[in-house]
Amino acid sequence: MPTTRYLILEDGTSYTGQAFGSLATTTGEIITNSTMNGYQEIITNQVHHNQIIVFTQPSIGNTGLDQNAYESILPSAKGVVVREYENLATDHLKRISLDRYLKQHGIPGIYGIDTRQLRHHLQNQGTMKASIVDVDDEHAFDQLSATVLTNQQVAQVATPKPYPNPGEGDNVIVVDFGLKHGILRELSKRKCNVTVVPWDTSSEQIMDFDPDGVVLSTGPGSPNSLPESVLHMIKAIESQVPLMAIGLGHQLFGLANGARILPLDVEHHGSNHPIKEIITNEIFYADQEQGYEIDKKSINHKQLLITYLDVMNGTIQGLRHRDFPAFSVEFLPDGAPGPKDRVDLFDDFIEMMAVRRRNDNG
Amino acid sequence: MGKVVLDQMAMQRALTRITYEIIEKNKGVDDLVLIGIKTRGVYLAQRIASRLQQLENVSVPVGELDITNYRDDVEHDKPTETEVTITNSNPNISVKDKRVVIVDDVLYTGRTVRAALSAIMDLGRPKMINLAVLVDRGHRELPIRADFVGKNIPSSQKEKISVLVSEIDGKDAVEINK
Repeated sequence: MPTTRYLILEDGTSYTGQAFGSLATTTGEIITNSTMNGYQEIITNQVHHNQIIVFTQPSIGNTGLDQNAYESILPSAKGVVVREYENLATDHLKRISLDRYLKQHGIPGIYGIDTRQLRHHLQNQGTMKASIVDVDDEHAFDQLSATVLTNQQVAQVATPKPYPNPGEGDNVIVVDFGLKHGILRELSKRKCNVTVVPWDTSSEQIMDFDPDGVVLSTGPGSPNSLPESVLHMIKAIESQVPLMAIGLGHQLFGLANGARILPLDVEHHGSNHPIKEIITNEIFYADQEQGYEIDKKSINHKQLLITYLDVMNGTIQGLRHRDFPAFSVEFLPDGAPGPKDRVDLFDDFIEMMAVRRRNDNG
Repeated sequence: MGKVVLDQMAMQRALTRITYEIIEKNKGVDDLVLIGIKTRGVYLAQRIASRLQQLENVSVPVGELDITNYRDDVEHDKPTETEVTITNSNPNISVKDKRVVIVDDVLYTGRTVRAALSAIMDLGRPKMINLAVLVDRGHRELPIRADFVGKNIPSSQKEKISVLVSEIDGKDAVEINK
């Protein structure tokens, strides 16, 4: 018999479901993800640090986990909410089921929840805290409302020390704000010699590596929670070497160049929004894991070009510096999970490093 | 059919990157004039112009340059002024004090670009001339180098590199034929 458990929300709502994964009590920010496939990549993406993930895709757990598709070593999501849970490992390797994986990492899951109704509810009420608990009594709600979630997410998930991911090509420094493995995978495919450095590394320390280019990674939380020193680092780097920034890195790139950051009323996680590339007027799709946006009104057009827009909600999806080879995208071009329509942005980055070398030699 | 070294997507991306680099180098699009060398350079120049239009909402003039009269492998007298033409939908295109970007498909010996430089200089004194090419295949015979390169394709002189544009060739591609 499955154990009955409860998903309770900060606004007093309670949902009854059945447990899978770990049986721990958990609290986090509740968000919905509408991506149709790739639950493994989503659960292991550090952007979900301290979050309880609600999948609107009704059946989760039906493929098992693939060795090559983890986006982090230690997932830090706080819980998984699904409508229907299938404890299967149907992939050809039949290695690990989702239930076993969540137990290993102490992440509770709950199934039997009307996740689409829950999404409507959250869409109307906005982002809030939630818990997965054994009893939905007054005490549980008191505990939930008393819980203060950390805003130091980056420090908790980013590497504390530099580490190498050697290759024979361009020397790339990845500044880790809670990166997903997809970024390293794409740089490896392009033979980059990568060093991943902690989020609080200074521009001087980065330039001591003599990089051909620098990547600012994805990560969890608000860019406003990070100290000013990170923005100084970005300002100093962008004028010296080609820069590519993704997700949280994109928001920081905007902040460093004078833009403001606003929280979205409801976080957007999914790959169902059409995105427009302004320069060609082309529409494409990509995974978005977005809780904040760059305020359009705050853009200094003498300094930054807006390069991509979300067609559904109008948010800025890409920027480029007018004076330096530096660009950023809000969406995740590595396509893990989701479409790889813009994975060639990594090729553009490689090309930018080649151009810089050519110009230096010329 | 030869080996495809740039497909349609890669060609589009290369032109997009060149467009961003033009903005970066010129600090904007003020006083910018694009001059495409006939035939395929003209289509590439138009595509860069339409990208600038999308991004900056500015219509950058595009000229078409026929360098036949300036070729150094043909015996001819110095062309008279009436023979030098930069044609355009806007007949008053001027290069005087402008930031000119010459656009061509392939940079090879550099002789075409040398001819284009002479032709443009005969029309007026630009503030600056830059060169954008989709393909740089090496084997220069003159001290000329491109400011914006879509793709470096080191090649043997026995090979033929063809840039195809959909406007006249029915598709976008760069191919190598042995």
